[in-house]
Amino acid sequence: MKRFLLVLFALAFAMPAQAQDKLVVSIWGGSWRDLVAETVAKKFTAETGVPVDFITGGTIDRLNKARLAKDNPESDITFTTSHVGWLYANSGLFEKLDLAKIPNASNLVDEARFSPFHLGSWAYVYTIGYRSDLIKDIKFSTWNDLWNPELKGKIAAPDFDPSHLIVVAAILSGGDAEHWQVGQDKLKALKPNFKAFYSDDANSQQLLASGETPVQDVLSMNAYYMIGQGSPITVDIPREGGVLGVDAVAIMTGSKKADLAYKFINVLYEPDVQAAIAKQKKGSPVVTNAKLDADLAKLPGVFTSPAQWKQQIVIDPKLRAEKLPEWRKWFSENIMN
Amino acid sequence: MPVCGGAGRVVKGQPFLRSFVTPAALCAFAFLAAMAAVLQYSVRTFVPGSLEPGGFALENFADLLKPLYARVFIDTVWICFLTAVFTLLIGYPLAYALVRLRNQFAKSFILITVITPLFLGEVVRTYSWIIVLGNNGFINSVLLKLGLIAQPIQFMFTTVGVVVALVHVTMPVMVVILAAALSHIDRNYLRAAESLGAGPIRAFATVTLPLSMPGIVAGVTTAFAWTFSAFATPQLIGGGRVNMISNLVYQLGFASFNFPFAASLCVAGLTLIVIILWLTRLAMRPLERIGPH
Repeated sequence: MKRFLLVLFALAFAMPAQAQDKLVVSIWGGSWRDLVAETVAKKFTAETGVPVDFITGGTIDRLNKARLAKDNPESDITFTTSHVGWLYANSGLFEKLDLAKIPNASNLVDEARFSPFHLGSWAYVYTIGYRSDLIKDIKFSTWNDLWNPELKGKIAAPDFDPSHLIVVAAILSGGDAEHWQVGQDKLKALKPNFKAFYSDDANSQQLLASGETPVQDVLSMNAYYMIGQGSPITVDIPREGGVLGVDAVAIMTGSKKADLAYKFINVLYEPDVQAAIAKQKKGSPVVTNAKLDADLAKLPGVFTSPAQWKQQIVIDPKLRAEKLPEWRKWFSENIMN
Repeated sequence: MPVCGGAGRVVKGQPFLRSFVTPAALCAFAFLAAMAAVLQYSVRTFVPGSLEPGGFALENFADLLKPLYARVFIDTVWICFLTAVFTLLIGYPLAYALVRLRNQFAKSFILITVITPLFLGEVVRTYSWIIVLGNNGFINSVLLKLGLIAQPIQFMFTTVGVVVALVHVTMPVMVVILAAALSHIDRNYLRAAESLGAGPIRAFATVTLPLSMPGIVAGVTTAFAWTFSAFATPQLIGGGRVNMISNLVYQLGFASFNFPFAASLCVAGLTLIVIILWLTRLAMRPLERIGPH
C-alpha cells in the first residue's frame, strides 16, 4: 500500500512537470491536426526536443473556450480562420507578434499578413468543383457559368459561410465585398440552381460523392482529397479567380511559452515544411521560397507566383469578420429559405 | 430507520445521504447558471466583429417575428408532430409484440432491432439514411429497377426525408416506454373480456389500447420533446432546405457569431416546448385517467 501511495505521489508531481514541458497547439481535429503533427510539430520537436500537444475542436468551440480562459490560455498557439482570427484579436486573446523572432516570416506573401496579431499558415481557394461524369456539357470558365439554367437543382454551397458567393455575385454585378448589396439580385437569380447547403467538409464530400449535388462551391483541398480517392471530380478556377482562403496562426496572450511558440511559427514558415503541407493538403504555401513538385504546382488553387496570388478574389478578413453575420442573415432569409 | 415519511426525515436519519444529493445539487446549479447566461444573452444586442454583446434590448425577440424565423418555429412543431405520430404508429405494434410474444428468439430480434440504433449515435444513423434516401440510394435504386418510377423520388432535403430519419432516431425511446406500459397491464382484464365473448380485435380496442393510454401519452410527449432538439438529422438530411430551431441556433451562433440572437431563439424555443407540452398534458389528461389504477 505504501508503495502504491508513493507511486501516486510521484505521478502527481511528475504529470504537471511533463505538461509544462510541452507546447500546446489548438487546432481543428482530424486531418488538420494530423497535418500539423506530421509536418511542423515533428520538425519543431526534432529541433527543440519539446513535444507538442494538441487541443482540437471546431472554430467557434475553441474561440469560446479561449474567451473563458482569457489570460490563462489552454494553448500556446492557435490555428483558426483568418476572419475568426480578428475576433480573437479584437478580444485581446492574441499576443502582438514580434516578427524579429520569426525570421522566416520575411518570406511571407502579402496575402498572409493579416494583422499585428495573426499571420497566414497555408492557403486554399473556394472555387467550382463538379462531377465530370455527371456534368459533361458545361465548362466553368467564369463564375457566371453557375447561373446556367441547365444547372437547376444541382448546386451546393456551404451553409456556414455564404461570403464566397455573396462577394462573387457582387463582383459580377460591378461591386465588391464592401458594396455587396449590388449583387443581391444576381444572387437571388441563382436560387433555383441550389439544391442543398452543406454543413461541413464531410457533408460537402458526401454530397459530391453521391452525386446529389454534382456542382459545388467547394474547398479546393476537399476536392483534391476526393480526386485522390478516385472520385471523378474536376476543379475549375474561373477567370475572375477563386475565393482565397488563408488560415491563420497566432500566439495566445498569456502563453508562458511564448519563446517556444515563436520558434514553432518560425518552423511553420521553413520552405520544406511549407512544401510538405502543400503536398499533403494540395494547398498553397504562404512563403515565396517553398519549392513544389511540378505536378503539385500546376494544380488549380496552388499558387507559386505573386501574379497567381493577385488573380484570386481576396475578401479582407477584418471586413469579413464584421460583415459575415449580416451576409449570413441575408443569405438565410433570401436564398436558403 | 424511517421506512416512510418525507425526504427531509430520511436525510436527517441518514446524514450520508446528503453527500449523495450534493453532486445532483451542483449539477442543478450549473444548469441554472447556464440557463441564466442564455437568458442574459438573449436580451443583449449584437455587435458585429466583436464577441462581447452590446447593451440590453428586446430587439432579438422582435426579430423572431420575421416570416423566416416564424416559419422555422412552425416547421419544427410540424416535424415534431409528424415524427411523434409516425413513431407511435410503428412503435406500438413492435412494443406489443415485444411484450406479448412467447418466442424468445423473436422477442430478442425485435429488441435488438429496436435498441441497437441507440448505440450508433445520431450522426451515424443519419448518414445511413442518406445512403438509403439519396437519389442513387437504396430505395430509389430498387424502385427504378422494378420499373415503378421513371425518375428518382426526391427524399433528401425534404420534410419527408427528415421525418423518416427522425422516426428511426426516436423509435427506441417510444418502444421502450410503450413496452413498459403494456407489460403493466393485468392480463386478467383481457381474459375477462375474452370470457365475455370479445374477439382479439375487440379485446385489444376496448381493453389493451385504453389501458396503455398513459404509455402512449408518455411516449408521444417524450418523442415530441426528443425531436424538438434534433440537430444532426435535419442538418444533414435537410441540407439547409429543412431547418429546425436547433439548426437556426447553430447557424446564428456558430456561423454568424450572433450569440444574442441565437440565445433569444433558445429562450423562445424553450418557452414554446414548455407551452406545447403543458397543452398536450391538459389535452391528454382525460385519456390518462383511462389507464390502470
